[in-house]
Amino acid sequence: MAVVRLQSLLAQEAGTRRIEVDAATLGEALRRLPVAGLVLDEHGAVRPLVNVFVDGEREHDLAAPLAQSSVVLLVAAVAGG
Amino acid sequence: MSATIVVGTRKGLFLIEADHAREAFRLGEPLLPGWEIHHACIDPRDGTLFAATNSWVHGGQLHRSSDRGATWERAEGLGLPEESGLKLGATWHVKPGLADEPGVVWLGAEPACLFRSDDGGATFAPVLSLLDHPTRERWHPGAGGLICHSVTLDPDDPARLYVGISAAGVFRSDDGGGSWEPANAGTAADFLPDDPYPVVGQCVHKVRVHPARPERLWQQNHCGVYRSDDRAASWERLDGNGLPSDFGFGLALDPGDPDVAYVIPEEGAGNRVTSGGRLGVYKTADAGATWELSANGLPEPAWSVVLREAMGFDAHGVAFGTQSGFVYARTHDGPWRETARHLPPVLSVSLSTWP
Repeated sequence: MAVVRLQSLLAQEAGTRRIEVDAATLGEALRRLPVAGLVLDEHGAVRPLVNVFVDGEREHDLAAPLAQSSVVLLVAAVAGG
Repeated sequence: MSATIVVGTRKGLFLIEADHAREAFRLGEPLLPGWEIHHACIDPRDGTLFAATNSWVHGGQLHRSSDRGATWERAEGLGLPEESGLKLGATWHVKPGLADEPGVVWLGAEPACLFRSDDGGATFAPVLSLLDHPTRERWHPGAGGLICHSVTLDPDDPARLYVGISAAGVFRSDDGGGSWEPANAGTAADFLPDDPYPVVGQCVHKVRVHPARPERLWQQNHCGVYRSDDRAASWERLDGNGLPSDFGFGLALDPGDPDVAYVIPEEGAGNRVTSGGRLGVYKTADAGATWELSANGLPEPAWSVVLREAMGFDAHGVAFGTQSGFVYARTHDGPWRETARHLPPVLSVSLSTWP
């Protein structure tokens, strides 16, 4: 199963920094997260300030396939204040 | 009566326990770290603690806790239909339903939208009648956005409720949210030079139904302080009766006396600090015919900022918080007392008692 790694507020809300997800695509994986509503907006798009990386590469395509060994990293944009 | 002052800040939620005399206060540990709390309150029906939570990364949300903040759940289904072409922005005001409406919770949000829950805040559905309101094209965002920031209920009639939207005005529903009528007659919109008294477009800052006399509403507006005695069919302007300014945000009432109201005037839209170099709360005890400065116990000089949701009340007193992180409280008859200092910027204050 693919692994989704969470940081900061996402990890706080999920209660964990690591979730295993059985999903064929990136979109499936994100929609199955317990914090899906924090990652995706109500129309299913990735929120503009959530950065998604798959196996170390920035990924914008929710249809992108995931391998069993894939690691998805969700990183919130950072700013001061 | 003891009370809990529920304080939403730009960096989490704080609970301040106040004793019976409102003289001793105990500040709890921060809750919901990382979230901006635009409003939070305790549901008097069952003690659920609600928080309108916001993150510029993760959007507008609603959290609820059934164990006084020890654990939290997040509402599902918050969002606007794709065909509306709109997306949910910040969440602004949560309002539990009446005592005989178990499970009903209202949530006001951006862009000028209202949600209703029938399961205690677990799930929400948008109120489409407000989203599709025929005057919507004449609504314009205020400095905080196009926000539905006030939801206030008629305690005698579950079908009647009001919302306040900046800058669209007050709207009344007599059918439980099925339809909405503008309720702005007599309220000014001085920033619209061609029509300072339009049907919609007013910048209401806070509107409240008086809980013991529901035909009476009070309103702090961008352009004046008003009272209505006919369920918002008409409004009487009151700020010329002794207030230093027509501009302000916070509005508190005394549930035991419909003639009492509190406001905190600010210098004006161009300089949003308390008037006259002092943190002055003004109280009327005669339905707005006169206003008296109520600053005993408050610091001076002070140039404070008190936001629209940062003033709350209950049957025994009033509390408010400042952008500089101070929270003050008083009984309806007593002096102000500092309850907490050096909090993050205060966005909301409500006063409640755990049921």
